[in-house]
Amino acid sequence: MSSPTPRTAERTPLVPAPVAGVLSIVVPGLGQVLSRQVQRGALIFASAATMAAIFATRIADLGRRAEEGWPTVVRAFERRPFFAVVVLLSLLAIWLIGAWDAYRCAKERRRPVTGVFLFVLLGFFVLGWQISEINVVKMIREAPEALPPLSRVLWPWEAAFEYETEVLGAEAKILAGEGPGPERPPVVEGQPYLRSEPNFGRLSQQDENNRPVLGTRITVTGFDFAPNAATEIWWTDPIGNEFRPREAGEYIIVTTDDNGEFSFEMTMPYQLTPPSAEGPFLHTLDARQITEVGRPRPSEALRLTVARMIETIFMGMMATAFGIIFSIPVSFLAARNIMAGSRLTMAIYFITRTILNIVRSIEPLIWALIAVVWVGLGPFAGIVALTVHSIAALGKLYSEAIEGIDPGPIEAIQATGASRIQTIMFGVIPQMISPFISFSIYRWDINVRMSTVIGLVGGGGIGFLLVQYIRLLDYRSAGIAVWFIAVTVAILDYVSAEIRNRLM
Amino acid sequence: MLEFKELSKTYDDGTEALKRVSFDVQDGEFLVIIGLSGSGKSTLLRCTNRLIDPTSGRIVWNGVDIAALPPKELRPVRRRIGMVFQHFNLVKRLSVMNNVLSGRLGYTDNWSSMTYRFSKEDRDNAMKSLERVGLTAQAFKRASELSGGQQQRVGIARALMQEPEIILADEPVASLDPVLAHTILGYLERLNREDKITVICSLHYLDLVQRYATRVIGLRDGEVVYRGTGEDIRRMTDAEFKEIYGEEAERVSAGPASVQGGAL
Ligand SMILES: Nc1ncnc2c1ncn2[C@@H]1O[C@H](COP(=O)(O)OP(=O)(O)OP(=O)(O)O)[C@@H](O)[C@H]1O
Ligand SMILES: [Mg+2]
Repeated sequence: MSSPTPRTAERTPLVPAPVAGVLSIVVPGLGQVLSRQVQRGALIFASAATMAAIFATRIADLGRRAEEGWPTVVRAFERRPFFAVVVLLSLLAIWLIGAWDAYRCAKERRRPVTGVFLFVLLGFFVLGWQISEINVVKMIREAPEALPPLSRVLWPWEAAFEYETEVLGAEAKILAGEGPGPERPPVVEGQPYLRSEPNFGRLSQQDENNRPVLGTRITVTGFDFAPNAATEIWWTDPIGNEFRPREAGEYIIVTTDDNGEFSFEMTMPYQLTPPSAEGPFLHTLDARQITEVGRPRPSEALRLTVARMIETIFMGMMATAFGIIFSIPVSFLAARNIMAGSRLTMAIYFITRTILNIVRSIEPLIWALIAVVWVGLGPFAGIVALTVHSIAALGKLYSEAIEGIDPGPIEAIQATGASRIQTIMFGVIPQMISPFISFSIYRWDINVRMSTVIGLVGGGGIGFLLVQYIRLLDYRSAGIAVWFIAVTVAILDYVSAEIRNRLM
Repeated sequence: MLEFKELSKTYDDGTEALKRVSFDVQDGEFLVIIGLSGSGKSTLLRCTNRLIDPTSGRIVWNGVDIAALPPKELRPVRRRIGMVFQHFNLVKRLSVMNNVLSGRLGYTDNWSSMTYRFSKEDRDNAMKSLERVGLTAQAFKRASELSGGQQQRVGIARALMQEPEIILADEPVASLDPVLAHTILGYLERLNREDKITVICSLHYLDLVQRYATRVIGLRDGEVVYRGTGEDIRRMTDAEFKEIYGEEAERVSAGPASVQGGAL
């Protein structure tokens, strides 16, 4: 940037220093141009103009509901005073510093451009901060909101295992309606039993005005359960709806005493059957003591995650394999030294190169969106997307490896009387094998990493599972998936770097 | 006997690298080609085993015109002509052994080459070739791990595997220091004397030419401008050398001790 200064050093400025300064206030950069510092002037003018333009459009956008003209500006300042003031000030500063710089330029002739450049950068930084709606205050203020999901994601292992359960329970029948209640079954020695007092009553309901009318209160007592153990209470209505009744909004859980007994009161729950249903209805109340027995088993989430992770790794592998197979012929078409023969081959070379560059510049996620339309949701779509991108990326890398081949050894092999195939086996392949393997492994690494996210857009693999868990707010299960992705990627990273190092 | 008859080579860009060059090489000679950079030495050597195709003229060897051979019939000719290069041209990622064995490719079928297999006899001979250039200890190293001088010795061993009648050496010592130059040329001289292999070698330095040549051809701008015997060139003064060679002519500044070293 400072290169033009020595050339212009001998030349005198066209205007005196103060005039240059004033001119730069009128049009930023004009003073510098007239001091024969054209590039510097252009830089300052371009930055000031861009900033002013961006500022103007932002103001117009912020104040858009107000009337045109001044009210727009006022409204914009009211809505985002901080933004408006900061940007206005930096704009002003650029203007003034530009003018001061023009003054100095005209006076000293030789000045490094770094300062101006840094200042312009700073100006754009301020603008960028405002436009990208960076909000550090909110970020800090609302950090606690992120903690529960975050902690679940970071330590999801409670959801990774489940146990076989054994239930110790007893039930009591309750009649919805006028008494007397149903006959109580006889007590069997050594088995728990449950009593409800009374064992008939009214269910909770809503009246015509949708106000709750609470049902009968009943006292439930349990005997001969396991001592000092948590006991869940369940309710089953006559048509088999099973649910856990609540008291004061919480599920009822009681703990037995030393004799294995408990007692509590509850209101009969809301009626779920249509009110038109007639006749005596027997409901069932039961108490269950659930104990986890046996060894932990992997939970559904863990099993799914492992299955999907394997699917993901294979997706990456298949995509890499297809990518390699297709990119080898392509890479020859894209290697200058191979295609240098004639005009036609050079044309093919340029066309191939261009296509490879375009395909490569489109992200695999976008290819996946296209592939999902093409072959439908699932891992195959992911494989198609990754393969397309791999062909382009590997084609370019391989073609560069081909271009890097030393013709000397090939010539030496030819000179021994070797056939074409022998020349390839001895002269070409040994030179290509290590870049070839190292690029392929590198690509496999990228493909597995990409296939973990390609599911986000429906391309199958673990990403697919991950979005589902996140949408269900099941952060623990999502955390399991995240852990698996992280560990797999880390291992892969290490292995691929190691193999590539060995090869080098 | 190898006869070059009116050999010309014009490159695609119009450069006339060889202009009607004619001379004979007797069996068992150590023929040195001298000439300025760009005078056509490499072109001449590379025409001899058809790494490039001459434009016109003939190269007659054992009654066969090499210049006129269709590509398919090159194999039996090429495999009897070894070649040693300035930059060694070893396949760097292959082992020294495999590089030496690649000298047998002209005698090996494609199928075995696909799996890098060679006969037991070939492998024994490769070991013997390496023994002759003093590199048995390096046989299973990668070629890239060797020093320049060692690599050139592998190059010679590779040429030797061809059971050649002729060895072409294109500035075999130009990328080596003077001491090594004598070592390498010493090996070539030994092959020339003991195995009766004809050597055609391009060289830059007068003292190397004087030391090793049995006959000398001088090229300038693609034309033969000097023909002499070993005796002729040994009598030649620096001034005369410069006349055919131009101002670039120099001597290797190595002392007599290293000349001894070159004699094995
Ligand atoms: N592939 C090629 N295409 C076009 N011209 C070439 C080619 N190879 C060599 N030439 C030209 O042919 C002439 C002879 O080249 P050659 O390589 O035979 O010279 P040389 O005597 O070996 O020189 P040096 O001592 O520098 O190796 C030179 O003018 C060179 O520029
Ligand atoms: Mg040359």
